Amino acid sequence: MTIRITDSMVSRTILSDLGAADNRLALTQRRLASGKQLTRPSDDPFGTNRAIQLRGELEGTRQYRRNVNDGSGWATATEAALTRITDIVQRARELLVDGGNDSNGPVAREAIATEIDQLTESLKQEANATYGGRYVFAGTATETRPYELGAVDTYAGNAGSVARVIGAGVSVSINVSAHALLGDGQGAADNKLLDVMRDVSENLRGSTVADSEALRGTDLKRLDTNLDELTRVRAVVGATANRLEAAGARLDELEESSTDLLSKVEDTDMAETLVQYSTQKAAYESALRAGASIVQTSLLDFLH
Amino acid sequence: MGISTFTGMQTALRGLLAQQRALDVTSHNVANADTVGYSRQEAVLAASPALRIPAGAVQGGGAAELGTGVDVLAYRRARDGFLDLQYRAQAMRLGGLAAQVKGLEQVEVALAEPGENGISAQLQKFWSGWEDLANAPENQATRQALIETAQGLATSLSTLDSQMATASEQASAEYTSITKAGGEVGQMAEEIAKLNEAIRSSLVSGATPNDLYDKRDQLLDKLSGLAQLSVTDLGNGTIEVGFGDAAVPLVKETTVTWPQALSEPKGKLGTLIELASPTGTIASYRSELNAFTEELAKSVNAIHQSGGGPAFFSFVPGAAASTLAVAVSTGEVQISTTGAEGANDIALAIAALRGGKPDQAYASLVSRVGTDMSDARRSEENAQALLGAVQDRRDSTSGVSLDEEMTNLVRFQRGYQASARAMTTFDEALDVLINRTGKVGL
Repeated sequence: MTIRITDSMVSRTILSDLGAADNRLALTQRRLASGKQLTRPSDDPFGTNRAIQLRGELEGTRQYRRNVNDGSGWATATEAALTRITDIVQRARELLVDGGNDSNGPVAREAIATEIDQLTESLKQEANATYGGRYVFAGTATETRPYELGAVDTYAGNAGSVARVIGAGVSVSINVSAHALLGDGQGAADNKLLDVMRDVSENLRGSTVADSEALRGTDLKRLDTNLDELTRVRAVVGATANRLEAAGARLDELEESSTDLLSKVEDTDMAETLVQYSTQKAAYESALRAGASIVQTSLLDFLH
Repeated sequence: MGISTFTGMQTALRGLLAQQRALDVTSHNVANADTVGYSRQEAVLAASPALRIPAGAVQGGGAAELGTGVDVLAYRRARDGFLDLQYRAQAMRLGGLAAQVKGLEQVEVALAEPGENGISAQLQKFWSGWEDLANAPENQATRQALIETAQGLATSLSTLDSQMATASEQASAEYTSITKAGGEVGQMAEEIAKLNEAIRSSLVSGATPNDLYDKRDQLLDKLSGLAQLSVTDLGNGTIEVGFGDAAVPLVKETTVTWPQALSEPKGKLGTLIELASPTGTIASYRSELNAFTEELAKSVNAIHQSGGGPAFFSFVPGAAASTLAVAVSTGEVQISTTGAEGANDIALAIAALRGGKPDQAYASLVSRVGTDMSDARRSEENAQALLGAVQDRRDSTSGVSLDEEMTNLVRFQRGYQASARAMTTFDEALDVLINRTGKVGL
C-alpha cells in the first residue's frame, strides 16, 4: 500500500528538515565564530577531559618556566658574587705572597695588613649579595644579612636549601651557603676564609719569626685550600645554571607542543569547518527553495 | 402492487441530499486541514434499502428489487488506534528525555568547561599561586595573591554547587506546578472527564461525535508526554485513563481523582522526580563535587599543617563545596616547616599536588556530565525522529490531503449535478404525462 501523503506531513517534514539544517549551520557558525571546536563538555566528553588535562599541563609548564627563570636569576647573582669573591681571595693571595717576604719592613707589612682588612670587609660585603632583595648566601634565612660588617665574623644565616621545582617532581637546590666558604671567623678556628684572612692580617702585623713562617707556610696553604674550594663551588653553581638553562629550553619546547596539542583538541580546523559551512549553507538554501515550491503547489492551482 | 410514479424523483432527491452531505464533510475537512489533532472524516455512502416488487415484476413472473438511491450510512473518522498507542509511547520517551536535556544543560553550562573561567582553570591558578609563593616566600603580596586565588576557587565551587542545587530545585518546582490541584494534569483530566460525559450522551442520542473524539485524543497525546498512560475503552463511549503509577485511575468515566502521589511515572514527570531526587543524577554530581572539594581541602590541609600550622581550608564534611573557605590570614600561610623566611618546602609540596588526585577527580566529574549530556541529547534526537515517523504514519491515515479533498469536491459536485439532472429528467417526463397527455385533437 502506498502511503497517503497529507499536507501536514509535507509541511512538518519540511519544517523539521529545515530546523535540522539550521541547527547544523548554527553549530558550525558557533565553531567558526568562537574558533573553538569544544564549547561544552557534551560536544566531546573525551576531548573535554583531554583538554582539561592539557590545560593543566600547559599551566604547569608555564609555571615551571617561571620557576626556572627565577632560579636562573638566582644562580647568575650567585655566580657573579662568587667571581668577585674569587678575585678578592686571589688579590689577598698576591698580597700574602708579597707580605711573606722578609724584605718588607714593619711599615710595608702594616700597609699590606690594612689592605687585607679591607679585602675581608669586601668579602663579607660580597657574601651579602642579594637577588630580588633576598640574600643569596644566607640559606633559607633570606631576609637576614649573613655577615655584619666590622669585627664580628659570625654567620647569621642558616644551612637551609632553597629549591626551585623545574618539572613534575624535579626540584633543584639553587643556593650556596656562605658559611661553607667564609666560616665563622677566628673564634671558630674553622680554617675558612674569614678565619684565614684574620690570621693573615694578624701575622702581618706580628713581628715574630713564627708570624713570618706562618705567612709563608700555613696561611698560604690554607688560603690555597679555600681557593680550591671556591673553584669547586663555582663549578657546582655553573652546573646548576646550565641545568636550569637546559630545563628552560626543554620547557619552552614542551609548552609549544602542549599548546599545539591543546589547539588540536579544542580549536576549530578553519579550512575544514569553512568547507562544511558552505556545504551546509547550500543544503539549507536548497531545502528552503524546495520547501517554498512544494508548499505553494496544490491541485487548487490547476482546477478551474 | 405498482410502483409510485414519483419513485425516481425520490431517488434523485436522495442522491442530491447524499452528495450535499458528502460536500459538507469535504468542506469540513478543508476547513480543518490545519487544525491540530483533527482527523479526516468521510461520509460513508451506501445504497438505500431497495423497493421490493412482488411476483410478476419481471418477465417470467418473478419478484424483483428496485434500487431507491443512496443514503449516508455514517460519518466516519479516519483513525488508527494502534498508531495512537505508538505515538503516546514515543511522546512519553521524548517528554522524559527533553526534560533531562533541559535539566542537565543547566549543570553543563554552570561548569563553563573547557575554558578560562571554569574550576579547572582556577585550580591551575591555585597551584601556580603556591609555586609563586615558593619562588618568593618572603613576599607578602604573593601570599595575598594566593589567598585571593584560593578564595576565588572556593567561591566558584560554592557557586557551581548552588547552580546544581538550583537545577534540582527547578525540576522539583516544575513537577509541583504540573501536578498540583488545578495544574496541567488536573485541568486536562477535568476536560477528559467532561468530554467523556459529552461523548456518552451523544452516543445515547445515536450521533457519532467525531470532533469530540478528536479533542479527547489530543488531550491524551498531551498527557502522554508527562507520564505513562494506559487508556481503557469502557464501552459506553467513555474511557478510563491510568496515569503513571498512580494508585487510582486519573479519569474513570466522569470521575477525576487528582492529585495523587507518583513515584516512577516515566515521561517528563518521571525525569523531573529523578532530577529533584536526593539520589538522582544532579544529586550525584553534587556529591561528586563535594568529594572532590573535600579531597582538595584535605590534601592541601595535610601538607599545610605538617609544620604544626593551622589548616588552610575550612569546610563542613558532606557539604564541602558550599562551605569551603580559606581559614588563614596572610600572616598564617605556612610556607615551610622550619619557618625560615626563605624556606619553601610546604609551598613546594602543595604545588606538587598539581595534576594529582583532586585535578583528576574534577576532570572525571566534567567528563561524566559531558557524557550524560551527550547521551541524553542523542537519545532525545532519536526519540524526536521516531515520534516524527509515528506522526507521519498517523497523518498518513488521519491527515487531510487538500489534493484529495479537491478531487472529492469535484466528484461530489458532479454527483450533485447529475442527481439534479436526473430530477430534471423526471420532471420533464412527468410534464409530458401531466400537461400533455389526453389533449389529442385539441
